[in-house]
Amino acid sequence: MMTLHGVDVYLRTPSIPDLPKEFGPFSLTFISNRGSRVWPPPTPEMDLCDWQQCRFLSDNEVTGTQIDELVVHLSGLGWEWTKCQKLFKIDGDNAFSQPY
Amino acid sequence: MAHKVCLIRGDGVGPELVAGVEVIFKAAKVDIDWIDVEAGLKCVEAGKPIVPEDTVAKIKEIGVGLKAPMTTPIGKGSVSPNVTLRKKLNLYACVRPVRSLPGIETPFKNLDIVIFRENTEDLYTQIEYMATETVAHSVKIISEQASEQIIRAAFEYARANGRKKVVGVHKANIMKIGDGLFLRTFNRVKADYPDIESWDNIVDNQCMQLVTKWHLYDILVMPNLYGDIVSDLAAGMMGGLGVAPGANYGHKCALFEAVHGSAPKYTGMNKVNPTALLLSGTLMLDHLGEHAARVNIEGALEATLKKGIKTYDLGGNATTSGFSEAVASELK
Repeated sequence: MMTLHGVDVYLRTPSIPDLPKEFGPFSLTFISNRGSRVWPPPTPEMDLCDWQQCRFLSDNEVTGTQIDELVVHLSGLGWEWTKCQKLFKIDGDNAFSQPY
Repeated sequence: MAHKVCLIRGDGVGPELVAGVEVIFKAAKVDIDWIDVEAGLKCVEAGKPIVPEDTVAKIKEIGVGLKAPMTTPIGKGSVSPNVTLRKKLNLYACVRPVRSLPGIETPFKNLDIVIFRENTEDLYTQIEYMATETVAHSVKIISEQASEQIIRAAFEYARANGRKKVVGVHKANIMKIGDGLFLRTFNRVKADYPDIESWDNIVDNQCMQLVTKWHLYDILVMPNLYGDIVSDLAAGMMGGLGVAPGANYGHKCALFEAVHGSAPKYTGMNKVNPTALLLSGTLMLDHLGEHAARVNIEGALEATLKKGIKTYDLGGNATTSGFSEAVASELK
């Protein structure tokens, strides 16, 4: 069974964004740049491209509406998202990859 | 003064190969201060990360490393130590030279090609999702800055090493956006190098041409996944992974590695060919400015192969240590 647990929000910004660490049921678990974790520290010495993958995740099942509210909240803070990907579990297992 | 070099002895047959290289370097009187750092399966078994942070920090501090093959544990959540090192050290350029060696018979006479593989992005970002219960989605990222970095590295290498031609390899006829960006970047950068002949090829055509018209090619530069595949194809043309060296370069450090696996089934059998790690080591010597030592060791290797002394992968019966001692005895 597929259950919804979070969202990867891809932001267009050249540096590591300072985002809310909690929002509703979600925690910001990491920010990656091209698959390499850049937050939380230690941040590798790497060339950043201007597209940051920001993962908001909940241990519990969430609703699509809660994800919509999170994305609207981030937009309201002035962040420009270019892509969002919902994060599912299938039969309790993560159906999404982890960063390096 | 001795050159400081971080050394990862690796898993499986890795330590045996390192021992062979140490014998040859010692005989060549190359002054290396080897600094052992740990990574790989042994770290995982000890409850540590596969590449501990102090290993990353030490290689950054020293700036140069030689790495024997490591084992990627099988199972959910396991990560490749090789990819981890490339990412954490920002080793953006994977360079794989392939050339004919005497005594190794292949259909590809006078092979001499250097492959530049982008090392930080493409499908190797490993960002993947199940979009539905029946559809998987892998994210391929191509950035202009990483593309320019590897393309410029290839052209600069051509100039510095007297190479004449650079070919950009892509699949922009199908992936018009991602590979299209790589191709546009290639065409922009090549204009800065009018002294180097350059053109582009679609990757499937490039593979066909490699095995039919290899003598037309000099330097190939390509995104990560194509580089992974084409460099192994080229290694096969050279004589197999047992003889194919590799180097990874970043802004601040370089890591040299045999590109084959750790061959756990041969562990302790003194059987596997040390040539790939040895030639990775001679690339490292060049990087350290020890050009004479590189020529000396590669000459000894070629003399050994010409005598028909070979390990099992090349049809011979020499052991790892026996082959290494034979190379060492050829050193002047």
